[in-house]
Amino acid sequence: MAETQQMKKSKTPSKGTPRAKQRISSDHLIAPQTPQSATPAAINLRRSHRLSAATPESHPVLSTCDTPQSVTRTTKNLKNPTSILPTTISITPASPQPTESRRKRKFQEKSVASAERKKDLTSGKCRRADNKVKQKVYYKKVVYDSGEFSAGHDVYVKKRSDASSDDEDPEVEECRVCFKPAGRRVMIECDDCLNGFHLKCLSPPLRAVPEGDWMCNYCVAKKNGEMVEFAEPPAGKKRARTAREKLLSSDLWAARIESLWKEVDGTYWFRARWYIIPEETAVGRQPHNLRRELYRTNDFADVEMESIIRHCSVMSPKDFANAGSEGDDVFICEYEYDIQWHNFRRIAEIDNNEDDGERVDDDDDDDDNDWSSCDEFDSDSKEDVVYEHEKKTRLSHASLLHPVAANSRKGRIFGLQKIGAKKIPEHLRCHKQTDLEKAKSKLLLATLPKSLPCRDREMDEITTFIKGAICDEQCLGRCLYVHGVPGTGKTMSVLAVMRNLKSEVDAGSIRPYCFVEINGLKLASPENIYSVIYEGLTGHRVGWKKALNFLNARFSNENKCGKDTRPCILLIDELDLLVTRNQAVLYNILDWPTKPNSKLIVIGIANTMDLPEKLLPRISSRMGIQRLCFGPYNYQQLQEIISSRLKGIDAFEKVAIEFASRKVAAVSGDARRALEICRRAAEVADYRAKKTALSGSDASGKVVAGMADVEAAIKEMFQAPHIQVIRSSCKLSKIFLAAMVYELYKTGMGETTFEKLAMAVSCFCANNGETFPGYDMLLKVGCKLGECRLLLCEAGTRHKLQKLQLNYPNDDVTFALKDSKDLPWLAKYI
Amino acid sequence: MPAFAARRQSLSSDPTYETRVAITPRKSRLRSDSDAAIGSPLRKSPRLCKEGGPNSSPKIDVIRKCLKSSLNLSGSPQEKRLYENFVERQTWDPREETQLRAVNEALHVSTAPTNVVCRENEQNRILDFCKKCVKEEKAGSLYVCGCPGTGKTLSMKKVQVMLVDWANKEGVQPPDILSINCTSLANMSEIFSKILGQNHSGKNSSRSTSSLQQLHNLYSQQQPGMKMILVIADELDYLITKDRAVLHDLFMLTTMPFSRCILLGVANAIDLADRFIPKLQSLNCKPMVITFCAYSKDQIINILQERLRALPYTVFQPQALELCARKVAAASGDMRKALAVCRSAIEMLIGDSVLSSLDETQDQQKPAANGTMSNQVRIDHVAAALSKVYKSPVVDIIISLPQHQQIILCSAVKLFRGGKKDTTLGELNKYYVDVCKSTSIPPVGILELSSMCRVLDDQGILKLGQSREDKLRRVTLKVDGADIVFALQGIRFFRNCLQ
Repeated sequence: MAETQQMKKSKTPSKGTPRAKQRISSDHLIAPQTPQSATPAAINLRRSHRLSAATPESHPVLSTCDTPQSVTRTTKNLKNPTSILPTTISITPASPQPTESRRKRKFQEKSVASAERKKDLTSGKCRRADNKVKQKVYYKKVVYDSGEFSAGHDVYVKKRSDASSDDEDPEVEECRVCFKPAGRRVMIECDDCLNGFHLKCLSPPLRAVPEGDWMCNYCVAKKNGEMVEFAEPPAGKKRARTAREKLLSSDLWAARIESLWKEVDGTYWFRARWYIIPEETAVGRQPHNLRRELYRTNDFADVEMESIIRHCSVMSPKDFANAGSEGDDVFICEYEYDIQWHNFRRIAEIDNNEDDGERVDDDDDDDDNDWSSCDEFDSDSKEDVVYEHEKKTRLSHASLLHPVAANSRKGRIFGLQKIGAKKIPEHLRCHKQTDLEKAKSKLLLATLPKSLPCRDREMDEITTFIKGAICDEQCLGRCLYVHGVPGTGKTMSVLAVMRNLKSEVDAGSIRPYCFVEINGLKLASPENIYSVIYEGLTGHRVGWKKALNFLNARFSNENKCGKDTRPCILLIDELDLLVTRNQAVLYNILDWPTKPNSKLIVIGIANTMDLPEKLLPRISSRMGIQRLCFGPYNYQQLQEIISSRLKGIDAFEKVAIEFASRKVAAVSGDARRALEICRRAAEVADYRAKKTALSGSDASGKVVAGMADVEAAIKEMFQAPHIQVIRSSCKLSKIFLAAMVYELYKTGMGETTFEKLAMAVSCFCANNGETFPGYDMLLKVGCKLGECRLLLCEAGTRHKLQKLQLNYPNDDVTFALKDSKDLPWLAKYI
Repeated sequence: MPAFAARRQSLSSDPTYETRVAITPRKSRLRSDSDAAIGSPLRKSPRLCKEGGPNSSPKIDVIRKCLKSSLNLSGSPQEKRLYENFVERQTWDPREETQLRAVNEALHVSTAPTNVVCRENEQNRILDFCKKCVKEEKAGSLYVCGCPGTGKTLSMKKVQVMLVDWANKEGVQPPDILSINCTSLANMSEIFSKILGQNHSGKNSSRSTSSLQQLHNLYSQQQPGMKMILVIADELDYLITKDRAVLHDLFMLTTMPFSRCILLGVANAIDLADRFIPKLQSLNCKPMVITFCAYSKDQIINILQERLRALPYTVFQPQALELCARKVAAASGDMRKALAVCRSAIEMLIGDSVLSSLDETQDQQKPAANGTMSNQVRIDHVAAALSKVYKSPVVDIIISLPQHQQIILCSAVKLFRGGKKDTTLGELNKYYVDVCKSTSIPPVGILELSSMCRVLDDQGILKLGQSREDKLRRVTLKVDGADIVFALQGIRFFRNCLQ
């Protein structure tokens, strides 16, 4: 991987002049923007000069155009370099009112489909009288400080601490030797230290930009182990560092604008998603990192627009390879870095997943919405303003609602709530949610409940297991096997435990560790798990053979990898899918914890109880004896789970919940199914309520889901589809099936031939005044029934001698045909 | 603006950064801590001090006496010897973290003991073989087999070290050592390139020929001064391919006229060499076979004691160790299991002591003697840990199953009463519906039934065969019918059905 990236990079210079810095020496034209160290009063004063060109629209309908899809589209558009360097600002058509002087800050808002939202629209709970005045106004695009910013742009952001050093912000890089800006002469960039040099200043001077990688003399000398000193700048002139250099030495931040808004007091803010340089990750800079590589984090903060310096552009590797003349401020970003778990995820994968999720969710019922915002306001209504960032930040979760200090965000979790189906994106609704609708959304599988009842003992056990392993100074490897039938909360409990531990890590009581989660179903082949693990640990993707070697070295060699000494927790869901023919994958994974200094903890989850016994003895010997069984829920537990989700919502009769949970507990004890039944029951009740409301009758009585609704939902779920198929089939098929049942009953055999059956059918028809359709027709009907597998029949070529068999029990067919309206006489034969 | 300051703060107060700085000093402090604990034998455990208060010394004496008297009750000479060094030792406090850590470390699989006991005989045989080969500069092969957890890999590591020591002492040129675990090979024939790479690194000029070919060339002509190479191939049976070529070639290397390769293969199967490389027999160079038998009860006790000897306090009651050893030896003789049982027994003890300390805070009048006894792992802890491993959970699982699944099992038992071994899903459905009707419970449909059977299959109670038709899938019981009857008898609902 590293090699290919290098290749790409080396290709770029050969393509033309991307790395050759041809800069206009426009140094004096652009006054560096002075950072305003901020007393609020000063800000207000300054802001008062600004003009608001367009008043933001406040119609709630507009906000619907801001669906997640449209956001994605805008971010995609961003990829082409809209980032405007201040050097070119004069020719951009961005500001309709041209600014005469740069120092005088003109401010305009474009209400390009301004996604503005009133708080009282979101939900009844947050309705307040005085919020007409106090409201945030959201914009898609803001022209600020003669730069145009919109959601999705990447910018440099000042670090407050050393504001003074931000004063000089040279737009042009100076030559490292003569300390003059590029001017008309061509500059070349060293591929190692990223310094710029005039071609003339080099020794020996170059005539043209060379093909391929080029390293400056300093770097070459450094590589050879010599001590090099860069030329000292001439007296009186301080060497100005470019923003890029500052960023890479972490004196600046880079951030991506997620959304922009105007505060109540008139200040402009944006939500920043931080980028970090490889040095800031837990593993530090690794050999495969490129010089210009950044990682996108899942860390957000609300920052004032004041602190933006200017645009930069962060690109995917593909765009980076094709990058043309963006200048010095180009960076490459391939991975997202999880600041909680310290692991890496490929950005392309994340985006793909989300797109899929959204598509699926839109097919789902759109009525489920908005719940989490109301919900949030129940718990922490700190803010005056509703901020539905959920739509924009896509990956983040509701816990980030308010601009808290970054510290207070610790212990909250990102990206973990992916149990069951995907979360449905929120849409703004004008009407107040009824209890039934709230209940529906609460019962969704994708909704993460606040508490996990009924699994306290198991969670305790997992917690002690992990704690016992990682609390030690030198962490001893262990292995835990979690098993249980589907829908009993295995994955959820483990993830909940990890969440709790995470907050303890943040509190400082536990040493940090890294956590890699793998689902066996998502692997293309069992061997791929090596490369997935390796990628999760280092953010570097290699083939599985190479990854296996690296991992072997990491886990078995105590001295070599002194750098990353954190213990590692490996959670493998669906462990049984890793069983290969010779079971080498499982052997390797379970062998690592038994090595000294491996610091590896393996938690395997699967459905099968006896997986360790099915494995080779050498593997089950290494697996250890730690097991944890998740039994199926009994009805009290299911009842508790459902009612804990519905706490505070009066939508269900208590009996109805008990009925549903008893029904499920008797068959499977699967919590997912119980939730689904209740959700469906709520839908049925909701439908009923709406119908009564439409019909105009006085619908003052509150509709709650009762026994009948649950009954209907259960019938829908448990009743086999074949009965419905039989009921809705045509007349002739019904007669055919009835004759079949009759024939089978009469003979007492398991199967019959077509000939005998045709006799029975003709007999039926003659006695009841139907016309006999003829053999050919009957044969066709038989084939059709065979195709939908109500019958099992031999190939049609045998005609009369064809053997027929019912695929479903006789009783089912009888039950389905008993009270058919169009053929009442069938009942007497059955 | 506040967000900004916060962000900066967050970085500086990020726990990773802090701890990274803090790790080193803490480590050194801890080491000195444990040193102190080991160095001063008179150090009382803090719990005792706390309990006793100012007039604690007489109480402790009483405790010691109690201990002695209680332990001298049993008579056999061997046990007496065990107790002697036991009484002299200090009491162990499981709540002391450093001590607990030391014990856990001593009992962990990854920490190899300094001297491997109970395998001296096998080690010496392997070592002698290697010595002979090195001395005579003659190739040879050896095959080590044995059950998992019998110390094969550990002994091989030991032999490596001893061989090098011996070679240095004797002034013989020590052989190159290559130790491979065959599971970690991405490709079977990679083993040859590894051997070759070890043989003469950097010199291989011809890339066109395969490494096996090169090895053949190397070993077929006399080359003076070539070093011996000792190849230890762990989990040898992963090299078995369909045509067994790799395994065969590997062993054939040792039969080349000027071969310098000593091959030590390790695997579980006792007859791997006979079964898969019969050709070797005809060439009269069958590898010598050394078998690692499963550990006996005495050996397990020995090893456990050896591991615990380094600790300055007694952790296990001797009877507890013996129980553990007997059970494990009877079942599999797997040392890893024995160690795991010991560790989980310690966890149980800690759980107990947490409970008892809770009790103590509630009533102070509790007799102190009781408290000291809880400082050792007793028989009941080990028994509980063992039952976690060896007890069959079938009955518990059946009792906790949902009702309809229990009905399925009930009908299956009835179905198989007549001596039938297996049936189809359709047949089972009939019986199931009968049972449901007789107890007036509405039966579920056949689709639901088949999905329930799949769940039971997952839990290892039924076995569901493959078939194109759902209805025709074979169903067999995987647990004993008597178990099911026993489990269901406790439920009144089924009592009538099973009559």
